[in-house]
Amino acid sequence: MTQAPAPSTQAAALGPTPFARYAPSFKLIQAHFGLGLLGLVTFSAMLALRAGEIAGFFFQPLLLGLVHLCVLGWLMPIALGAMHQLVPVVFETPVRSERLAWSAFALYAVSMPIFITGMWTFALGWILPVAATGTATAIWLYVANLVATLARSRRHSLTGLYVKVALGWLLLAVTLGALLAWNLYRPYLPLFHIALLRAHAHAAGLGFFGLLIMGVAYRLLEMFLLSHGASERAGRVALVATNLALLALIPTLAFQLGTPALALAAAAAAVGVASFVWQALAIFRRRTRRRVDVAWGHTAGALVYLVLAAAVGAGLALGPAREPWLDRLHLAYGLLALVGFAGSIVVGQLYKIVPFLVWLHRFAPYVGLKRVPSAAELLGERPKQVQFALMHAGLIALIVGVVVDAAALRVAGAIAFVASSLLFVGNLGVVMARRP
Amino acid sequence: MTALDQTGSVEQAAREALFEVHDPETDLNLVDLGLIYRLTYRPETRKLEVLMTLTTPACPAGGMIVDGVQRRLALLPEVDDVAVEVTFDPRWTPEHISTDGRVFLGW
Repeated sequence: MTQAPAPSTQAAALGPTPFARYAPSFKLIQAHFGLGLLGLVTFSAMLALRAGEIAGFFFQPLLLGLVHLCVLGWLMPIALGAMHQLVPVVFETPVRSERLAWSAFALYAVSMPIFITGMWTFALGWILPVAATGTATAIWLYVANLVATLARSRRHSLTGLYVKVALGWLLLAVTLGALLAWNLYRPYLPLFHIALLRAHAHAAGLGFFGLLIMGVAYRLLEMFLLSHGASERAGRVALVATNLALLALIPTLAFQLGTPALALAAAAAAVGVASFVWQALAIFRRRTRRRVDVAWGHTAGALVYLVLAAAVGAGLALGPAREPWLDRLHLAYGLLALVGFAGSIVVGQLYKIVPFLVWLHRFAPYVGLKRVPSAAELLGERPKQVQFALMHAGLIALIVGVVVDAAALRVAGAIAFVASSLLFVGNLGVVMARRP
Repeated sequence: MTALDQTGSVEQAAREALFEVHDPETDLNLVDLGLIYRLTYRPETRKLEVLMTLTTPACPAGGMIVDGVQRRLALLPEVDDVAVEVTFDPRWTPEHISTDGRVFLGW
């Protein structure tokens, strides 16, 4: 054993750690994760049922329904749950109002499925914009609560900066979304609907999910890999470059300003993505825990999907304006970014977060009294490996099937993906059921 | 046994006991992880004082780890009272991990 360092005689006693002091109730997190997992199963089931029809221009009920089911049904509740867990710990301040968080959750859980049904069918009349406004209101309440939480904190960190900026883009994305839903019911906006829809999608996808995932990933990578001492410079560059890309991209898309502005946005986005990947690898290289598990396989996969999405996105921004095959690349771009990047990282990190939370709430009280399993031991590696293989084989088949327009390949990929989703939920269920 | 012998023996027993308390994420015990800075036994009061650290001040499992140390050491027959103090001076770095710990972590 190495010699322990001589401690300072001025060591200060520490009270409860930030987690113990500031984390919200476990039930709040469970409710969000539960809703998100239900959304994942529903999304993947609908994907499998309709995979043969995933083709053509993206503005059609089936594709808009699927995208919103993926984003609002699956990814958003998980992101909101994770933020309510992480923000209090990172900023060392409790959630401003847990009651408001529950109210927002209730409103979201009621209005979001109605809104998605409306998008899917295009046949709900006034109910669609009302449900969209309900969903948007719930998210505004979440953002208000999180902003009020952040306002009470004196802690500054790179992750915190990412979270604050991501919340700003979320506000824009949700507001645009609600305006678009009313415009779909009774057209009133002076701008082209599909141009605004593109701006809305990028504010949500890159602005909110992209920046949130980047910022939170730095923190989670450090925490779960016990990584120490990596410089944050690339992470800062990624934050600035990605925001510059968004500042160029959103007005360019909304007002259809043309290729030169899109080229600028694509270049800044490429710098942002490259810097993020560089920062993630820097943290990974400095890890104390050398052996890596399946969760990190998902994270590595997510980085590959992100780079591919950025390349396809740049190609679409700079390429020809209208060719029949471009529709297929647009769909592939969405799949790579949303399901590939965001979905993989969500799945990978839930494999770390859920066992850790179960360990903290159920097993920690027995530490010191008897041998308790580690967080990783709450679920064996084998089921996770099978889920990993199914998910990524399915996803790759689905994306290739979209690009080459092969319906059978899309269906096979979607079936593998739905199997992986069910196995994923089952795996987390096994963890949730563990008792000391 | 002299008081000095007893002190050394209890401190050694305490260190051995802390090999049974593990970090939840790495599953490495706290001694090999290098979190235990000092153990001091006061025979006159049967009090055991622990000076330790965490891998980071924001460690989400920190409170539970400290509680675990307290619970395990309170089981020692010679100990009536355990006082755990957490310090971040010096800060923990990977250099604090023992040779056995490094092997365990796959270095």
